[in-house]
Amino acid sequence: MTMSMQPYGIQSMLKEGYRHLSGLDEAVIKNIEACKELSTITRTSLGPNGMNKMVINHLDKLFVTNDAATIVNELEIQHPAAKILVLAAKAQQEEIGDGANLTISFAGELLQNAEELIRMGLHPSEIICGYNKAIIKVVEVLEQLVESGSETMDVRSKDEVVSRMRAAVASKQFGQEEIICSLVADACIQVCPKNPTNFNVDNVRVAKLLGGGLHNSCIVRGMVLKSDAVGSIKRMEKAKVAVFAGGVDTTATETKGTVLIHSAEQLENYAKTEEAKVEELIKDVAESGAKVIVSGGSVGEMALHFCERYKIMVLKISSKFELRRFCRAAGAVAHLKLSRPSPDDLGYVDSISVEEIGGVTVTIARNEQGGNSISTVVLRGSTDSILDDLERAVDDGVNTYKAMCRDSRIVPGAAATEIELAQRLKEYANAETGLDKYAISKYAESFEFVPKTLADNAGLNAMEIIASLYTGHGSGNTKLGIDLEEGACKDVSETKVWDLFATKLFALKYASDAACTVLRVDQIIMAKQAGGPRRDAAAAAGAGAEED
Amino acid sequence: RRKALNLFFVDSDLSSSKMSVRVLNPNAEVLNKTAALHMTINAAKGLQDVLKSNLGPKGTIKMLVGGSGDIKLTKDGNTLLKEMQIQNPTAIMIARTAVAQDDISGDGTTSTVIFIGELMKQSERCIDEGMHPRVLVDGFEIAKRATLQFLDTFKTPVVMGDEPDKEILKMVARTTLRTKLYEGLADQLTDIVVNSVLCIRKPEEPIDLFMVEIMHMRHKFDVDTRLVEGLVLDHGSRHPDMKRRAENCHILTCNVSLEYEKSEINAGFFYSNAEQREAMVTAERRSVDERVKKIIELKNKVCAGNDNSFVIINQKGIDPPSLDLLAREGIIALRRAKRRNMERLVLACGGEAVNSVDDLTPDSLGWAGLVYEHVLGEEKYTFVEQVKNPHSCTILIKGPNDHTIAQIKDAVRDGLRSVKNTLEDECVVLGAGAFEVAARQHLINEVKKTVKGRAQLGVEAFANALLVVPKTLAENAGLDTQDVIISLTSEHDKGNVVGVSLVDGEPIDPQLAGIFDNYSVKRQLINSGPVIASQLLLVDEVIRAGRNMRKPT
Repeated sequence: MTMSMQPYGIQSMLKEGYRHLSGLDEAVIKNIEACKELSTITRTSLGPNGMNKMVINHLDKLFVTNDAATIVNELEIQHPAAKILVLAAKAQQEEIGDGANLTISFAGELLQNAEELIRMGLHPSEIICGYNKAIIKVVEVLEQLVESGSETMDVRSKDEVVSRMRAAVASKQFGQEEIICSLVADACIQVCPKNPTNFNVDNVRVAKLLGGGLHNSCIVRGMVLKSDAVGSIKRMEKAKVAVFAGGVDTTATETKGTVLIHSAEQLENYAKTEEAKVEELIKDVAESGAKVIVSGGSVGEMALHFCERYKIMVLKISSKFELRRFCRAAGAVAHLKLSRPSPDDLGYVDSISVEEIGGVTVTIARNEQGGNSISTVVLRGSTDSILDDLERAVDDGVNTYKAMCRDSRIVPGAAATEIELAQRLKEYANAETGLDKYAISKYAESFEFVPKTLADNAGLNAMEIIASLYTGHGSGNTKLGIDLEEGACKDVSETKVWDLFATKLFALKYASDAACTVLRVDQIIMAKQAGGPRRDAAAAAGAGAEED
Repeated sequence: RRKALNLFFVDSDLSSSKMSVRVLNPNAEVLNKTAALHMTINAAKGLQDVLKSNLGPKGTIKMLVGGSGDIKLTKDGNTLLKEMQIQNPTAIMIARTAVAQDDISGDGTTSTVIFIGELMKQSERCIDEGMHPRVLVDGFEIAKRATLQFLDTFKTPVVMGDEPDKEILKMVARTTLRTKLYEGLADQLTDIVVNSVLCIRKPEEPIDLFMVEIMHMRHKFDVDTRLVEGLVLDHGSRHPDMKRRAENCHILTCNVSLEYEKSEINAGFFYSNAEQREAMVTAERRSVDERVKKIIELKNKVCAGNDNSFVIINQKGIDPPSLDLLAREGIIALRRAKRRNMERLVLACGGEAVNSVDDLTPDSLGWAGLVYEHVLGEEKYTFVEQVKNPHSCTILIKGPNDHTIAQIKDAVRDGLRSVKNTLEDECVVLGAGAFEVAARQHLINEVKKTVKGRAQLGVEAFANALLVVPKTLAENAGLDTQDVIISLTSEHDKGNVVGVSLVDGEPIDPQLAGIFDNYSVKRQLINSGPVIASQLLLVDEVIRAGRNMRKPT
């Protein structure tokens, strides 16, 4: 009679392999532990002096980076609560493209402080309530801290752009931020459309070429394609471009066609008509003035032959998206089939040439006058991982540019904002009556981790720095931040460390959202791990994604 | 997948003994009499325990982790039961009732489960004292009928004419939503949900909730969720040269294939020179091109002399050459729209869906003030907005991650249902436990006296089981359950209809606090709960042939 001894409770009702965790100790505290672990990992990478992490993912691909978004992405976090933090970081990455580290570390810090409160005897729902009040206050204070006069900016002024971008880039590539910022700013300003809010990140391309050093990096107004020209013509100046999305070859019917031949004569004739047809088409294109043909599909042997004869350079771009970008860069309209293009549909490039850089054959299409089209940052570096890391810094810079086009407001960086927020929030907490008070003041304390981590990572005495920051802010200097080079506190208007308002706002909001979500959960029901082919499938998908 | 047959006998014939089954199948497992009863009671109580903490606005969230590590956060009883994959047979029966509750009324799953659990718990006490389950069941039946009658006198009728009372609808929606989401978000969604149902409501016709499109975008924060009066489609135009934004648009909703389709029969072309082949290529496309031309003609007819735009939304495909032709005319074309979106489009924009381009007239066109595309990473969304007099709308859910979106989606669905129920029931029931306490007092004070014999105990058990709802509400809010129940019952005895306030545990008037439940939810709850409980109580033998019920340890 095994059944009579049914265990009581939920566990007996679940399928084999299911786990069920509930209550404060089992669920909430465990969740917090996991999130703390995660934030300890990312925390040391925060700021300009952050350490790099070496992550080897399931494909044995090596990453050396201090970009939190990349780290957590490659770590493949399994723990459900920690995953909520990762999702928040991803949301931040998608929305702004920077500040993922702040999101995770801050959420971790909030949870760590929540744990202390729970051990003190507060109920998670009271903590959530307090944290929610705190974030509302934070948003309010943050808006007051916006540097006056920064609401309007000239997105085409390099100095203004660089000053806003520097902090974001410096946190990834400290010491090289001047070079990168100037490259990124140039590239972005070039492609910035008339209405800056429509700035498209996709218009700034990055081409990574092994060899040389960062100092050899440059900007190309136009595109850099990592492929060779199809024919033997490798260079063309001031040329009109015809783009054909469907490929340059003889046309074919959708239905299967068969050539009907009765005699040898006909066979010969058929080949001739075929030839004549292709020649006619290519001639048409040549007569329209096009000197370069860009094909989205295959280029037939015979077509190529006639192109050579009519001195037309042929390029092949097989990626649909790359082809569209090329169309934008050259101002061309893509035709589906090989036919005579109308003059309006032709694009124009100043020069197009095949060059060899560091052993890689690339085709460079330049367009000096072309207004808001495409620009490419050519990055040079000695190893793949350095290039990857540089690319991430450039990406962050471009995303910051996009964010500043939408909202150009800035707040003091170098932990000045955080300390000011902490201070104002503490005052707010003291004015509050009831249990929320504790949660709000813990929330305020959580901000201290930013100066602490910045100082720790730079090898400075964190306690001293925080103390002197508080003294400075207490006496009314709201812009006092850390100067990491000198290891002292300095006004950020001197050191020129500014953060974007939007980045900070979203990071803090996402972080407290994630922290509250983790605190709200009191029961976890976990299904049995699906094993086997899933991982391989994910690996295969990952491999596919990495190639492009 | 389980090969062996699981038998679950509901049998009151006590003579069928364990031995006789063993003779028939030596591997069969048998539980009888008290053992069977206790197993079912325990299972019901166990399930009640799990779901208990979900009930009410102060309920907690459960995190469900799927096999592949995907996360789901929920407070909704129905979602939880669906995802939990319960194995115990009794629990499955209860879960099914709860799912049925959700199918019919869209809410009240948690209440159903805990009500059944509580009924079993109350019966257990009586059965332990030697009562026969049959007598209890008779009592349940009497109590159920009496409660349903009481519900009809207790409900608050609401007149739903052409202009329904928005405030009442909002209160009902808010009551439902607050049990699924946190307060701030719930209050915001309340307006959205009520407005969307009123938007699609047509006089003299049943409400079709499918006409409210629920679309989600992973973007910004959960509080950015909004109601779009018009339609949001989760795809964009497929041609790089088409406009991304157009104002004053004529909308053509059609179901016409604009792509070359191979003939059914196996055909082939024969040609002997390249010219002939070229001719074939053009001939192949001619019929498609003609259809496209007809549309372009219509466009030229309606857009001549003004700067209006033209948008085609096609259920079938549009191939690249056709797209190209349309793009050159400045027409925005979307292909492969959902079938249901075609219905919604016609309701939202007006006009009619056409199945052929042969007799196109300007009358069949719809109208939208603004059509634009929004790109989020790889995903494209097309917004059709500023429509006149819409009868279809979209609730656009936003959230930073998938689990937030899923949570809001479930809540919105339940919110829509609650508004629809109210419109159809034309009445509401006071919430916050007021009905349960009132019904219990009615049963104890009035009904019980009219019942003869031991069935009285069944009525009493039923009455006490009803109290589980206010009890659990109070428990989840961290209040003292006994205090709350006593103060509630004494208020009701004085003739005041009150519910429990979850802030301080004091009795409140739900009417003033704006807490209303759906009539149909309560009705279904009272109907189905006792039926399942009776069935389970009447089980005296559980026979399982084949696999062991507990996992081998």
